Amino acid sequence: MVEGVRRLGLVALLAWGASLMMPPALAADAPLERGPFAAALCGDGAAQTKAVEAFLHRAAEAEAAEIAWAGAALRALLDRRLACLGETALLLDRTGAAEGVEAATGTARPAAGGRSPVLGLRQRALVETASGAAALLTGPSVEARRAGLSILERRIGAVPEAFLLRAASAETDPGLRASLAAVAQSAALSSPDPARRLAAIRAVSEAPSGAAFSRLSALKTDAAYGSDPAFRSALDAALARVERAVSIGNGLAVLYNGLSFASILFMAAAGLAIIFGLMGVINLAQGEFIMIGAYATYGVQEVLRRLAPAWLDAYLLAAIPVAFLASAGVGIAIEALILRHLYRRPLMSLLATWAVSLFLINGVRVAVGSQNLQFAMPSYVSGGVPLYADFVVTWNRLFAIAFAVATLALTLVILKRTPLGLDIRAVTQNRDMAACLGIRTRRVDRLAFGFGSGLAGLAGVALCPIYSVNPGMGANFIVDSFMVVVLGGVGTVAGTLVAALGIGSANVLIEPLYGAVAAKVIVLAGIILFLQRRPEGLFAVRRRR
Amino acid sequence: MSGAVDLSPRVPAVRRIGPALGSDPLLASLVVLVLAAALGLVLLQPAPYLVNMVGQLAAFAILAVSLDLVWGYLGILSLGHGLFFAIGGYVCAMHLLAHAYAVTGTAPDLMQFMGWKSLPAYWTGLTSAPYALVLALGLAAAVAFVFGLASFRSRVNGVYFSIISQALVYVAMLLMFRNDTGLGGNNGMTGFSVLFGWPMGSPGVVTGLAVAALLTLAGVLVGAKVLVASPIGRRMLACRDDEARLRTLGYSTTRLKLGIWCLSAVIAALAGLLYVPQVGIINPRVLSPDLSIEIAVWVAIGGMGRLGGAVIGAVAVNALKFWLSAAMPEAWPFILSGLVLAVVLGLPNGLLDLAALRLRPASLKPTSLKPTWLRRGGGLR
Repeated sequence: MVEGVRRLGLVALLAWGASLMMPPALAADAPLERGPFAAALCGDGAAQTKAVEAFLHRAAEAEAAEIAWAGAALRALLDRRLACLGETALLLDRTGAAEGVEAATGTARPAAGGRSPVLGLRQRALVETASGAAALLTGPSVEARRAGLSILERRIGAVPEAFLLRAASAETDPGLRASLAAVAQSAALSSPDPARRLAAIRAVSEAPSGAAFSRLSALKTDAAYGSDPAFRSALDAALARVERAVSIGNGLAVLYNGLSFASILFMAAAGLAIIFGLMGVINLAQGEFIMIGAYATYGVQEVLRRLAPAWLDAYLLAAIPVAFLASAGVGIAIEALILRHLYRRPLMSLLATWAVSLFLINGVRVAVGSQNLQFAMPSYVSGGVPLYADFVVTWNRLFAIAFAVATLALTLVILKRTPLGLDIRAVTQNRDMAACLGIRTRRVDRLAFGFGSGLAGLAGVALCPIYSVNPGMGANFIVDSFMVVVLGGVGTVAGTLVAALGIGSANVLIEPLYGAVAAKVIVLAGIILFLQRRPEGLFAVRRRR
Repeated sequence: MSGAVDLSPRVPAVRRIGPALGSDPLLASLVVLVLAAALGLVLLQPAPYLVNMVGQLAAFAILAVSLDLVWGYLGILSLGHGLFFAIGGYVCAMHLLAHAYAVTGTAPDLMQFMGWKSLPAYWTGLTSAPYALVLALGLAAAVAFVFGLASFRSRVNGVYFSIISQALVYVAMLLMFRNDTGLGGNNGMTGFSVLFGWPMGSPGVVTGLAVAALLTLAGVLVGAKVLVASPIGRRMLACRDDEARLRTLGYSTTRLKLGIWCLSAVIAALAGLLYVPQVGIINPRVLSPDLSIEIAVWVAIGGMGRLGGAVIGAVAVNALKFWLSAAMPEAWPFILSGLVLAVVLGLPNGLLDLAALRLRPASLKPTSLKPTWLRRGGGLR
């Protein structure tokens, strides 16, 4: 929407500019005559310059077919595919071809004895600009038109404003239209007419961004900044306005990144907190369950690529159950084989899970390799919506946030509304009493461990579009997720959520001020200080001992 | 002694050595073995690489003993002991660089890298070895004191403490990876050329370093044994097994834990101090959380709660690592994780269980060294 407003403003600006600038004499010019134009291209430098400049001035209102014809002739001249036989110019298919068509009439003729005119440096630049203008207006594909624009950009001073207006209104591709607007804007900013410049400055400041800021600050070195007080005050006001908007936008972007980081942290830590609260097991392999989830996602992608390429885009969604079950399965196997024997020895189970994580990392490294995995980006996680100034709501991070919200809902439903959840809460509060009441605590342990591991697997799916996926990726999250568990309190989903949000946003808030490392140091010091006041964390589950 | 009456006769520490070693034949024979190895290195002059390896193993054994003191005897599992090891190592490296610069006049790589014209102010005095020693041990003790005070005062215990200590070493690693800390950043510090005026690589220096490490190990073992056999040692065990009861009896467990924790940090720094000149480099990778967990793995494999177990574990695992990471580097992580799982599941007291099985074939069940806090429920305090 904002984009639309910006474009409207630009078109209005261009129209206004064009009405000011359009010299009436040029508007009444005679239409392009093909014969003399072709002859001029075969002529000397002065003739070439005159013809091409006249063409450029007329390009804003000439017919499209006429511009396309002139563009082909200019292109041929640049590529040395123009052969001159006296006053007639022949267009050849390739340099040195034996036969060509007459530029003015289109009849075929042998090209023997023709000479191809040589362009001087000044003329070459001018011809390039004119041919770029033709390409921008009549190019068959977006790429051809974009190439034309990038040529125009280099000599924007030679292009009349009316032409840019025409190109902008004729353009159908939104991306190219935006680039056109930017080019037109910078052309207006350096225009010799002070009123136009002021209007352009105002227009630029209405669509604030980092690029707009640097474009405006470049004007400070302009001579007018010193001599013209009106210009000076307008520029200063615009700069202040853009600067404020950009810093608000950057603040929003920081918060948004913090939110997405917190989402991943929450998903990694929720499983940890449940397992820790229930069994007192510190699961150092939790990061590797994330890794397994990410690799399962990769597996789903590859299977879809082989079997149903049409559905490839859906792999992230299809991977959700697969990753959950893969991580949960590995978790249950580890519980059954190893941790079951270690429930009364929390420090030994910590070492055992470390050994498991070492095994899993190196197992994957040997089986798949240690390189980063390549993921196809489905349309729903690539790109984003620019919301304000430089703040873009990127889909991949929004995906992670939405995913975390869904995970939170799922966790709460399972813990509060299902028989398993009731059992988990009972065993967390008082294991012996729960056992006396007939709850099979060992079975609850196993299922809860599987559930907690599965949550880590889901985190793996969510971070596939954001972070790089390799066997050692789990180590990046494990220390932070433990801090979340310690800060939040053992075995509470609410505590985990609050702590994840707190640590995630504290990290990204401090980062731009003092750097990533200082952010970690400050957060750790903050947690240690906090534990002085509340050693049980933010939300301690009441339990009997 | 915080209200409690010390009933044991006050004998000087030196006269406690004999009885302490006499009560632990395994440890006594280890001390003899270590001293014999030191003598052997001097007399037999084996190949320098072998001497160097023995010296490194001794440094690791000291590190393991320092962790066993707090884990095996006090029930505090630190996953951040690499921090104190690194403090010793970094200060030692700074001393070696400053010393080499003063003797040879060649500016160390670090100075060129940082664009320094001379060493900055905080390096002042590091050319003097005694000052470096005091600085290393004092710094380790100070860091341990601050962190320990914050944790023990608010009764952060068990796995909580383990996690936070791991975060501490992780943050320290991130910090040292930065180049602007001025301690070599990513590359660390290397290129030590002179030790006490002698060229670094010469056989005499290599042997001297290894012998110093072995003698320090023997000294640390004897000192630690005297400590754990003393009334303080009984209090340590009491604190490990039931801290609440010991506190109720009127002992300040915070002070006890803090004291032993700082002592352990100082011993770990000593190990780092001895380790760095032998390997000739220090970089932030000694601060990686994995290395700190590995120290706990050595102790667990050797057998926690027995000083001899820590030494055996550190030497066995590291000797295996030296051999296997050269012979088959791909397989080493799998072997290490398999070892840990086997020990954790099958031999709760580590390799010492195997010895107990062989020594006492009549009782096939290994004697339980398991402290009561492991046997009782919960364990999450």
